[in-house]
Amino acid sequence: MLSRTANGLFWMSRYIERAGNIARLLDAGRRMDSIPNSDQGRASEWESIVIASGCRETFPHDLQSATMEQVAEHLIFDPENPSSIHCCLKAARENARAMRIAITREVWDVLNGAWSEMKRKDMRMVTGGKLAAFLEWVKEQGFLFTGAVEASMLRDCGYSFIQLGQNIERADATARLVDVKFHVLLPSAQDVGGGLDHMQWVQLLRAANSLRAFRWTYRETVTPQAVVHFLVLNAASPRSLMCCYQQIVASLHDIGGQTALQDDARRQAEHLGTQLENATVETIIAHGLHEWLTMMIEQTNALGMQIGDAYGFNGPEPMMQEMQAQ
Amino acid sequence: MLTQPTEKSTGKGIMFNEMYDGDEVRPEYRIVADWLAANGPDALNEKREEAEALFKRIGITFAVYGEGGDPERLIPFDMVPRIFGADEWERIEAGSIQRTRALNAFLTDVYNDREIIKAGIVPAEMVDQNEAYEPVMKGFTPPGGIFSHICGVDLVRTAPDEAFVLEDNCRTPSGISYVLENREVMSRMFPELFRSGRVRPVDHYGDMLAEAMASVAPPMCEDEPTMAIMTPGHFNSAYYEHTFLADLMGVELVEGQDLFVEGDRLYMRTVYGPKRIDVLYRRIDDAFLDPKVFNPESMLGVPGIIDAYKAGGVTIVNAPGSGVADDKAIYTYVPEMVEFYLGEKAILPNVPTWRCGREDELKYVLENLGDLVAKEVHGSGGYGMLIGPKATAQEIEDYRKRIEADPAGFIAQPTLALSTSPVLVEQGLAPRHVDLRPFVISGTETRLIPGGLTRVALKEGSLVVNSSQGGGVKDTWVLNAGGV
Repeated sequence: MLSRTANGLFWMSRYIERAGNIARLLDAGRRMDSIPNSDQGRASEWESIVIASGCRETFPHDLQSATMEQVAEHLIFDPENPSSIHCCLKAARENARAMRIAITREVWDVLNGAWSEMKRKDMRMVTGGKLAAFLEWVKEQGFLFTGAVEASMLRDCGYSFIQLGQNIERADATARLVDVKFHVLLPSAQDVGGGLDHMQWVQLLRAANSLRAFRWTYRETVTPQAVVHFLVLNAASPRSLMCCYQQIVASLHDIGGQTALQDDARRQAEHLGTQLENATVETIIAHGLHEWLTMMIEQTNALGMQIGDAYGFNGPEPMMQEMQAQ
Repeated sequence: MLTQPTEKSTGKGIMFNEMYDGDEVRPEYRIVADWLAANGPDALNEKREEAEALFKRIGITFAVYGEGGDPERLIPFDMVPRIFGADEWERIEAGSIQRTRALNAFLTDVYNDREIIKAGIVPAEMVDQNEAYEPVMKGFTPPGGIFSHICGVDLVRTAPDEAFVLEDNCRTPSGISYVLENREVMSRMFPELFRSGRVRPVDHYGDMLAEAMASVAPPMCEDEPTMAIMTPGHFNSAYYEHTFLADLMGVELVEGQDLFVEGDRLYMRTVYGPKRIDVLYRRIDDAFLDPKVFNPESMLGVPGIIDAYKAGGVTIVNAPGSGVADDKAIYTYVPEMVEFYLGEKAILPNVPTWRCGREDELKYVLENLGDLVAKEVHGSGGYGMLIGPKATAQEIEDYRKRIEADPAGFIAQPTLALSTSPVLVEQGLAPRHVDLRPFVISGTETRLIPGGLTRVALKEGSLVVNSSQGGGVKDTWVLNAGGV
């Protein structure tokens, strides 16, 4: 497989996954926003969503007074924001078109259809109570994509690069989603552990499509410790970091390594997987949840870069040096 | 050598309708007439909608240069097949093969011994001052002596037994994806018409091309040759066809950025490291192929590929410099090439052509411009031409000035009464002008599939069939001997 093809499949997959994850973040914001806030504390939900989405730098308004409309505009439609849903669906479709030969018609149909529908949408279609339905639609496109890939793609290294892109993006997104809770301010320190705090954790689970699964798994009330366990450490939870890392390692094994750089990338993924296995909710919270999540986000992105280097995504130089060294 | 066009081919006589002979349906088209009699035109219209949905799904597109609009628009497809009888096809096949062999012999000759120039048949300046002539190919003979491995011979018919070559396409002729996709759609729409086995299949094109490419593997290649298709990228108007060909042959579709040359071999960058390519079917123009030899600004090409090619490390399909055989000035010499290299009479004649670079012929052209079709020697795609009988006095006057300013840059031909084939319109069937591009493949052997690209001028009375000018396409059927 050409390195350029692997790169295109990897990013096609990352972008469609990112579109869904931006939708999940917006959904979390929408849900937090709807919690009655009896106190006069500053509403910081929308600010926290912008921060967690990693779009702080591109957000064109005052962050502290960010409104739902401003955030929705920036995260959904802004063509200047490379992570907006608009740009993600466009980039996923562009990559698919360039790699048309490496994907099935079913996969192409999903991405082509998603983009042609997205092109026709504007702010009027997401305001006035219509945001939730729109976000559902975005998430649906992700599910359609995953389904089309699962049911129609040849199980070769192209498939593995798609899986890899999806799980790296998802690990990053779940870490960011849990981190939202850190950025949402509570009116006062006494509210920690109180009703509002509890409600916010519940909404976070909902945004991760995980509230029901959580109840089935733990059969107990929502506590911060249990949520962290479910979304970070529980391999049975499909969006957990643990689940993502298990699949990242499996994909790298399937693709196989033929150079030292490729072996290094796999070992690094295994190392991060082991780090997750050895972690407990207690050690994470002792470390500081926000700090720990930030570290995971950074390491996940570094791993993505390392994989790109190893398989020739980021230019030919490392590959040629390797060939000459052998 | 210039012969007076016959009465019937100049349009003064009766136009040849390929479906009818007087009121009688010609035997080749009986299959269409029978189907219509049994099902009616409404059924055909329904099938058309179904076919359009299929084409949309496949995503077969062609961008129209200079017209703006959707760069991924569909090319119009007409549901009525264009049909050739076995005898008719035999002549077209033999003529196209003969012509392609002569063109390849000419290319090898002009880059090496230049016998045809020494013999005084083709003037040296026609070759040396030709923009498509590549001095870098001087003294080089590609494997098997083949320059143009895929050659499109554009033909028009004017009578049941009269066909002319309109032009040759020796560089990177496109359209084969339509031929195969049209057939795919037609066989889904009308399975009963194919079940009889009367229509000869075309789906071995990929194997034929792969065999030809393998047969011209470079001298350095000692094992099974690895092949690839090279595209300028997905913004190119023919990108669909590039992906189609790669899929058909099961080879990688590469871009310049995927390729590099080392030690006179060509490599592609794969996830497991560099992999060698032996035969590269490139679908980019010469000028972009190698920035070290051609356009140094090009980002699409592969530095050093020409050196590797000449050293015998890789075969480039079609060879650089092939274009010297297919411009409209060289075209006029092709019948003489056939005699010179093959010692045979040309089976398919040229359209009589006046070269404006010659004083007596220029005089004739300027005096009769209103009756002629005038073309730029280096033009292609139906752009920049004048159709005298359809032009206004002002257009003719403007064109006359252009010719006078650069006579050698123009040729002129009589307006032929192009044959028509029926197309489906709202009211039923109506005749429209058609041409034909068979794709001749050359390796150890020179062959072609029974069929080709039939382009059709969808506007009533229009003679321009180019897809870039709003023409459409049809499936082309060749019937088995004894099939009619």
